[in-house]
Formats: sequence, C-alpha cells, structure tokens
Amino acid sequence: MPKKILIIDDDPVVVNYLKAVFSDNGYATCSASSSMEGLETVKAEKPDLICLDLQMPGEWGPRFYRKLRKDKELKDTPVIVVSGIDGDHAVKDAVAFVKKPFDPEKLVGIVKNTIG
Amino acid sequence: MLVDDEEGIRKVLGISLSDSGYTVFTAQSGEEALDIFRRENPAIVLTDIKMPGMDGIKLLRALKQENPDTEVIMITGHGDMDLAIKSLKYQAIDFVTKPINEDVLEIALNRAHEKIRMRQQLREYTENLESLVREKSAKLIEIERQVAVGQAVEGLSAAMRDMAVDLEGGLTYFNEMPCFVSIHSPELKVIAVNPLYRDRLGDKVGHDSWEVYEGKTGTKANCPAAETYNSGIGVRARATVKTASGDKAPVMVNTAPIRNQNGDVELVVEISADLAEVKRLQEELDRSQQRYQQLFDEVPCYISVQDRQFRLTAANRRFTEDFDTEYGAFCYEVYKHRNEPCPNCPVMKTFEDGQSHQTEMVVTSKAGERYNVLIWTAPLRNSAGEVTHVMEMSTNITQIRQLQDNLSSLGLKISSISHGIKGLLTGLDGGMYLVESGFNKDKPERVQKGWEDIKTIVGRIRKLVHNILFFAKERELKPTRIAGLNFAEDVAATVENRLKASGINFVRDFDDSVGMLRIDAGVLRLALINILENALDACLEDQTQNKHKIGFRVGQDAGQVIFEISDNGIGMDQETCEKLFTLFFSTKGNKGTGLGLFIAAKIVDQHGGKISVESKRGRGSTFKVSIPNIEPESAKTKENIE
Repeated sequence: MPKKILIIDDDPVVVNYLKAVFSDNGYATCSASSSMEGLETVKAEKPDLICLDLQMPGEWGPRFYRKLRKDKELKDTPVIVVSGIDGDHAVKDAVAFVKKPFDPEKLVGIVKNTIG
Repeated sequence: MLVDDEEGIRKVLGISLSDSGYTVFTAQSGEEALDIFRRENPAIVLTDIKMPGMDGIKLLRALKQENPDTEVIMITGHGDMDLAIKSLKYQAIDFVTKPINEDVLEIALNRAHEKIRMRQQLREYTENLESLVREKSAKLIEIERQVAVGQAVEGLSAAMRDMAVDLEGGLTYFNEMPCFVSIHSPELKVIAVNPLYRDRLGDKVGHDSWEVYEGKTGTKANCPAAETYNSGIGVRARATVKTASGDKAPVMVNTAPIRNQNGDVELVVEISADLAEVKRLQEELDRSQQRYQQLFDEVPCYISVQDRQFRLTAANRRFTEDFDTEYGAFCYEVYKHRNEPCPNCPVMKTFEDGQSHQTEMVVTSKAGERYNVLIWTAPLRNSAGEVTHVMEMSTNITQIRQLQDNLSSLGLKISSISHGIKGLLTGLDGGMYLVESGFNKDKPERVQKGWEDIKTIVGRIRKLVHNILFFAKERELKPTRIAGLNFAEDVAATVENRLKASGINFVRDFDDSVGMLRIDAGVLRLALINILENALDACLEDQTQNKHKIGFRVGQDAGQVIFEISDNGIGMDQETCEKLFTLFFSTKGNKGTGLGLFIAAKIVDQHGGKISVESKRGRGSTFKVSIPNIEPESAKTKENIE
C-alpha cells in the first residue's frame, strides 16, 4: 500500500500542485484547506506525513501543529512545513522547512528520506 | 512615609516604625504618596513596587525628580527580583522583600540614614569651601579694582601733565579719536590739530580759531575757544564747519579749558564730532539691530526666550503666528496646553547645567494642529555669567516625521507584498508542473487543469499589480461627467463573465433615475471591482451551499448615488468588519495582500464618499458605497488648476 501524505494549504492551486507532485512519485494524497479541516482529516485518514502551510485564514498552521502534538495517537506523524513565511520558531520539531516557491524534487527528496 | 496598597502592611509596619522613633505618614497609592510628599517632604520613603495606578517604580522616579535627596526603600513581593534591580537603577537605596523581616528593614533604614548623613556632611564641606572661595575672591577683586583705579588716575593725570608740559606729546592721545581735535592759544590761534582735523578741515595751525566756522560761531567774539577763555568753563554747542574741500558739515563742539598752576586758563581743547558721521554710525547701528530683529523673526524656527519659571519673555514672529503668545504665559501652556512643566524639559536642563540641550517633542498649535518639533536650547547669561534666561529654538519636523512614517509603511508593504508574490510564484510553478507533466504523460485533463490554475494565478497577479500601481502612485483624480448607469453597467460587465463561470447568480438592480456623476471612472471602477471580487471569493469559500448570489444595486438617496454590493457567502464577524479597511489586513491567507479594500476605501474617500459594510458570519455581506452626485470639492479645485 502506498504511503499517504496529507496536504494542508488554503490555496487550491498549491494543493493541486502538491497532489500532482506526490502522486507522480508514488504516494497517495489527501488534502484539507484549513487547520480545523486538517485535524479531522488526520484523524480520519491517518496519513504517514503532513505537508503544512503556516498562513491560512481562520486558525494558523502552528495552532494545528500544537493540537496535533497533543493527540497521543497522532503526535508522531512527521510534519514538513511548506510556507512563504519564516516559521522556524512557530513549529519547533518539524522534519523540514520548505520555503515557497519550492523545488519539487527537493521536496520529494525530503519526503523519501522521512517515510521512504 | 510608608506607601502600600495593603492596609495590613501599612498598619503593622507603621506601628513598628513608630516604635523605632520615626514619624510615619502612610499612603495607599502612588498618587496619594506624591501629595503627602509635597506637603511633608519626608526624608525616607518605603514603597511597595506593585500597586494599582502609579506603581512603586513610577513613584520612585517622581520622588527622585522632585527631590533627589529623598531616600527610597522598595518593598518587593517574592520573586520580583527584576523589578527590585530596576528600582536600584533608578536610585532606590535598597529593597526589602515581603514578608518583611525587621532586621533586614533596619539594615535598609540604617543605610538610608548613613547616606543622608554623608550627603549632609558633604554639603557642609562644600558650602564651607564655597564661602571660603567667595570670600577670598572678593578680596582679590577688591585689590585688583583699587590697583586698576589707581593706574587709571595716574595715567590720566600723566596725560594731562604731558599735555600741559609738552603739547606734541599730549596730542598723540587725540590722534586716534574719530573727532576733530584742536588746541587753541589765549591769542585765539590754532596751535595743534589731529590728523582727522588736518585731513578734513585743512592744516589750520597758526590760523585764527574761528576760521573754520560758519555764521555767528565764525567770529572772533563768538567762537567756542573765545567763549571758553571768557567764561573759564567748557562750552557745548552745535555749529557748522567749512571743510577743506569747500563743503559744509554740521558738528557738535565741546571745549575744555586747561589751566596752569595759578588756575588761569592757559589752553583750550576743542573737540568737534561730525554730526553726519554720528548719524551715519547711528543708522548703521539701527540697521544692524533691525537685521537682527529680522533674522529673529524670519528664521524658519520657533524662537522663544524663557525665564526660570518657563515664562515667555520674547518670541519671534513665527512663534506668535502658530502659538498663542502672551508674554508671561508659561511655555508648557502655550506649547503643549499642559498645567505643569513637561518631564525632560530641555530648558530646565539648560538652567541647571548652562549647556545647550536638544530634544524632540510633539506640540499643539493654537489651531489645534500637532507638530513634531526638534528643540534646541541655549543659555542667555547676564554680565556676571549667570544663566538668567534660556532661548529655545524649535524646528518643525512634522513633514520629515510623516515622510518617515510613509517610508516605514512602505517597508511593511514590501514585506507583505513579497509574501504574496511567493504564493503566486508557487501557484505558477504548480500550473506549469501540471501542464508539463500532463503533456509528458499525455493526460489532456491534467494539462487543462494546469492551464486553469495558471489562468487563476495570472488573474491574481493582474489584480496585485493594479493595486500596487495604484498604491505606489498618489494620483490626482481626473473627474469627468459620466452617466451613472453607464458606469455601473461597465463595472458589471467587467466581472459578470467571471461570476457566471463560477456558477454564481449575478443580479443587477439599477435605478433608472440615477443621473450624471462627476467621478474619475477608471479609479472608482477599481474600487467597486475590488469589492465585487471579494464578494466572489466569499461565495467560493462558502461550502455550505451552492446557490450563491451576488447583487449589484445602484440607486440614489439624499443627494448621494448608492452602489450596493451584497453576497450570500461566508460573511464576517464584527472584529473582521472593523479591521476590514485597514492596510494589509487580509482574511485570505496566501491569496490576499491586504491592499484591495484599503484602496477601495481610499478611492471612495477621494471622491468625497462613504463606504460601509454589514455582515454576519455565515450570512453573507453587504458593502455600501455612497458618492455625492454633485462633484467633490477636491475634484473641483483639481480641475480648475488644470
């Protein structure tokens, strides 16, 4: 079974982009357009990795991240931050920070190193 | 004085301090403490740090400013070490922590006593020293003075002696004078003249004393020398002299008799000042005084002169123009409409140390406008070298400050926009990736999707660029007359296709009676399109239903043309509505720049109109723009200039 990646970004164009990149590299994907929706999707889909944007309407990415880390079952899910703003301080132990605009090969490389 | 907001501490500590022999005043707040302090002037103040209102640190600073000799002991709660250390920085003598240990308190009090005692001793020494110095220097000055007087008397008498004995030698004293000086013999002959006399009136040595004078003065009996010999006392008179070149010049003549040892008048000294010269000098003096006055009035600064009580004693024209100046009014009243001197007053500092000081302040003019001013002070001293007044020069730097604000908002803008651009680039990358990989894998639906994404992003880029261009350039309105309905139709047509493509029902509701408008159509259109596009986004984001509708109503009401744009999208909460029109406020995450509605509001404002919004979360929003259908004042003047 392919590994599953959850994409959380409020911009549908970016979601499409990431979905295409990951599925082209043999991963399954699911997506959410807000923090709230993201939490529900994590619980329902149990992804192997999460791609998280920081600046979104409503709740920002870091808050999603804190809620995720509080959940015992989900707290070990690796998170890659993909964002246009500097958020190193906001999400402490993310696997990587990828700045928009990003190089898709590099991103896939990080994903491969993390979940194979 | 003991200051604490807790009654228990005031009571217990108050009693134990009274027992130790102190007279104790208590206060329950910083403000009360200051009142008591001004009345009683206690030497030692014990104050809690944490109090509602004016806290201990503020109180400490106020006390130290009013009387630096006051010793202040801070009472701190457990773990307020930072505050305690901060208070030491502001020159508290010590601090004690709660709960208060009597021994610790005693040590702190002793320390305060020690400091007060030392300061008193130091002051006594200094004062003794000062009075000693004063005494000695007074003596020295007295001796100096006597010596100087002695020398002057000696010099004068020597001069007189020389003159009497040796006329040639005596004359050198007159050579430098800007007057005609001559010496006359009892035979009424000129026996010596100074160079100026020779230059202007001719070398009259050996001639008759009256020869240079015109009219009655120019006769043997009435010339000043003759009168002096006759009366034995000096003469002072106006007369007219004939110059060597044949001109006539008015002069003021003074004579003095010089007597021999028998008391007889032996010689007469005649000194004449050229009145034209005197007048010329006086005019020059007046002119330079006037120049100074002009300079004082015209320099591009506010200049005022203040005494030790900060009362205005002089002010230049610019100052009087912008501020209410009544001589004797207080600077802080005139400048800041305050009732007491400002903290950090540079004038006060200059009085204290005699140095020039500089500071920046915000002052309020008599018209109520606020100016940022840069203030320089300079001491004015009396002849004894004491600073009696301070001159204050303030340069109005409001415009520089505004420019600075603009620059910093520009910086903010650039960072906000650069974030937006990163999002757009990512989107373009995404679209290109889909198109490219779609072609490679021969998946036309993927190419199609990628192309749609690219179109979306290009649309966003276009909007961003428009907004930036509008924002970057402050353009003047160029209003033209346009039929209101034509304008509305044009706006509607611009967005209609896009709305329909997104499956949204676009409803026009135009009132036919709307007449002509005077607007800058291109600019106002941008504002309305920004609002319509927001309505579109609000509908697209709302996934609770799929029957979305955007209404565009145009009507009129009380001299205003109303444009109303309503949607049934996601809506906004109260807080969002309030911030909506501020710069860089965006609810759209990566997709927004926070420019659109800010610019819309600005445009409406330029047209002399109003913009408002009503919205509820989950219920949609209604934006209302009203534009006066007479032309706006600003537009009128702009057009007249053109």
